[in-house]
Amino acid sequence: MGGDGAGRIVLEARGITKRFGTVVANDHVDLTIRAGELHAILGENGAGKTTLMRILFGELQPDEGEIYLNGQRVHFRSPRDALRQGIGMVHQERKLIPAHTALENIVLGHPKTRPILNLKEAERDVQALCERYGFRIPLHAKVWQLSEGEKQIVEIIKELYHGARILILDEPTSVLSPPEIVKLLESLTKMAKEDLAVIPFITHKLPVVLEYCDRVTILRRGRVVAEMETRQATEQTLASAMVGREVMLQLERVEVPLGEPVVQVQDLWVRDDRGLFAVQGLSFEIRAGEIFGIAGVAGNGQEPLAEALAGLRPVERGSITLSGRDITRAPVLERWRQGLGYIPTERRDVGSIPSFSLVDNVLLNYHFEPEFSQWGVLATGRARALTERILQEYSVVAAGPDAPARSLSGGNLQKVILGRVLSRRPRFLIACLPTHGLDVGAAEFVQQRLLDAKREGMAILLISEDLDEILALSDRIAAIYEGQFTGIVSAREATKELVGELMAGLRRERV
Amino acid sequence: MRAVIGNYTIRIERRADLRWWHTVVASVLAILVSLFLVGFAFLRAGADPLEVYREIIAYAFVSSFGLPQTINRATFVLLAAFALIVPLRAGLWNIGMPGQLYAATLAAFGVAYAFGAKASVNAQLNGAIVIPLMVIAGLIASGLYGAIAGFLRGRLQVNEIVTTMMLNWAMLWIVAHMIREGGPFMGRTAEGEGFTLPTAIRMPQILGLPLTVYAAVLLALVLTWFLAKTTLGYRIRTFGESPRAAEYAGIDATRISTLVFVLGGMFAGLAGLHYFTGVPGVYKIPKNYGEFADFSFYGLITGLIARNNPIAAIPVAILFGGVSGGARFMQGKLRLAFGIDYALLGVLMIMMVAFQALAQYSVRIERAVTAPARQVGLERGESRVESPRH
Repeated sequence: MGGDGAGRIVLEARGITKRFGTVVANDHVDLTIRAGELHAILGENGAGKTTLMRILFGELQPDEGEIYLNGQRVHFRSPRDALRQGIGMVHQERKLIPAHTALENIVLGHPKTRPILNLKEAERDVQALCERYGFRIPLHAKVWQLSEGEKQIVEIIKELYHGARILILDEPTSVLSPPEIVKLLESLTKMAKEDLAVIPFITHKLPVVLEYCDRVTILRRGRVVAEMETRQATEQTLASAMVGREVMLQLERVEVPLGEPVVQVQDLWVRDDRGLFAVQGLSFEIRAGEIFGIAGVAGNGQEPLAEALAGLRPVERGSITLSGRDITRAPVLERWRQGLGYIPTERRDVGSIPSFSLVDNVLLNYHFEPEFSQWGVLATGRARALTERILQEYSVVAAGPDAPARSLSGGNLQKVILGRVLSRRPRFLIACLPTHGLDVGAAEFVQQRLLDAKREGMAILLISEDLDEILALSDRIAAIYEGQFTGIVSAREATKELVGELMAGLRRERV
Repeated sequence: MRAVIGNYTIRIERRADLRWWHTVVASVLAILVSLFLVGFAFLRAGADPLEVYREIIAYAFVSSFGLPQTINRATFVLLAAFALIVPLRAGLWNIGMPGQLYAATLAAFGVAYAFGAKASVNAQLNGAIVIPLMVIAGLIASGLYGAIAGFLRGRLQVNEIVTTMMLNWAMLWIVAHMIREGGPFMGRTAEGEGFTLPTAIRMPQILGLPLTVYAAVLLALVLTWFLAKTTLGYRIRTFGESPRAAEYAGIDATRISTLVFVLGGMFAGLAGLHYFTGVPGVYKIPKNYGEFADFSFYGLITGLIARNNPIAAIPVAILFGGVSGGARFMQGKLRLAFGIDYALLGVLMIMMVAFQALAQYSVRIERAVTAPARQVGLERGESRVESPRH
């Protein structure tokens, strides 16, 4: 940050108000950004971050309020205007051409490019930029070969190369592994010191905010509820300001006496869609009342593992035992009847059907039960009663049991799926990325329910890319890297650094 | 899509909820626009469009000869539409109505043949035994013929459109073999048509209409209930909406694919039974059996226009059943050029389909420049975390 004599104000928004019909997305939002600072905008989904961001970037025009850039009042009629004045934006979705090299993508659209490219000259400039901010990117690699983190950096460099002095980042940490996040933030800090202003918009990952950002502005329901220096903030105050009530960040990990082993997996080998072994000889067991967490960066075999356990993917070799019964080749429904429960990664299109009513969505896990299908006719009365109970018990915000699933927010939809699966009282629960993309309040709720389930003696396999979540919930943690466990550690000995290194494949313990 | 003209924004967006009356309004508009457009063709042909339309309506929906014909044709189209609708609810395309309907027809005539029906129109047969046997044999044959495509799709991911199309050709050649000169079902006059069913084993009638007409209407109700309320109907819908969610829910892809094609095949089969064993004046596989194969594709259009709703398919089927017969009659009566009736039908179909597509969008004109309305949904609540911009 710019120290006590913080840098001059480069961007200021005063009284920004934006309405969509009757919804006030931004309600007299004030924002002050100084040169040289890393200034995070925090807020839950729906707090008005996206609207504010789009207004600052010229994609939307405010109904009221003014924007000042370096003290001058400005009107952005389009993102092109904003770019010309030095505001760059890195979207959550990548906007790169995969078949072109990183350099070509960076140069694309720059005013200096002529019909005949002079890549040599451009490369010198880009190289200089990279060195200045400490980015290490293979400029001649095709974009499709780059990792998610690298792609994001390519976009940042692109904005800088095109002359951005103020950089808006939309959820920059959402797709990165912990080591990548650290690297990114170090570069961003360095950039900020160079008299640039960096404004990340963030929904999750509060510790990151505290560690690297200088100041935060917190939005809730379209209003600014707090603006503070991160020195004065704690994770607790940030979360409470975002949610509007006290939030328990430190989940109470309860030790329950471990019961019998519920699931035993022996030397499991599973192929992915390309026919390669994505799971390579995994063995583990989970006892009643235990949460076994699998930490890993996306794509290291977690998904095929979960699918094989749930019966959606054939097992090549090895065995799966559920409550003493071999279910390695059992069909899906037999597993559910034996006490399996599965919360899939994809909430929409696998875990739910967007066009179906909530009742019909609850039936996904019940249509095969005799009580819900009498003489081949659905027992809609019973299904509706069950749905209403789930909506109430999990305090789901929905128009009612007949509301289509697509009308629900991600958090509420996840509550319905969780409630539906848990209402079957499974002995073994597979929970894949249960809080991915949820805001603090909903995530806390889901995690609490998982702990409750554990307390009741469920054996839970928790698969998550969020290391904090894994550490907070699990009794034992396995790090997965390229289809193999690089280590299994108990919650007591697990540290973020240790598990982070294991999941990055930098280190291997004897398993 | 959005266009800004001065102070106004014209916005075309996909409707979030398509109401049934949107479809009705679109269909009525489609009919009016088609009649208007084809009117120019009639003017060019030297006929007064209004007179033409009056003739069509008078014949198809009023006259004592035309009305039963309309109903019988509409039943054929309706049953063919069911053959599309049920598999399409499971996300699969049945283009095999011709093959399936002739599978049933051949099986039914096979039963009649086995009982010696070919000998004479006056053959003494017990209709109470033979007719049910014909229907059962027909339904089994068409169900099995449909099952081929469904099973291949479910088990091996073979494209069902290609399979059903190929099965159509196979069946049409079998029909040719059976009824043409020297074939076992050859009629006594040897004019390239099948033998005529004896009076004793023709489909019984109520009020001059074969039972199959009533069966088809009843079926529209049963089918609607089946898809909405039964467990199997639920599984079909689930599979149709999302095969991956269905897999998650333990619904067997092979079983569902096969089932919907067995049902679809049976409905097409019933269309064949209706027309060739039930409609007065037919009672045989006619020389122009190929035209009925083409006619069964009206079921496809009907199913699509009715948006997969069996009950909504009824008025559409009546429209096509009536206009196809009425336009042909009018063309002869007014001595117009050959094919002008097809022009009317063609334009009608294109307009119906086009207006159905248009009905899915709403057009709004607003003053001043504002943001796309999608934003509203995005900012309300904590919605759409995964990918807000898709």
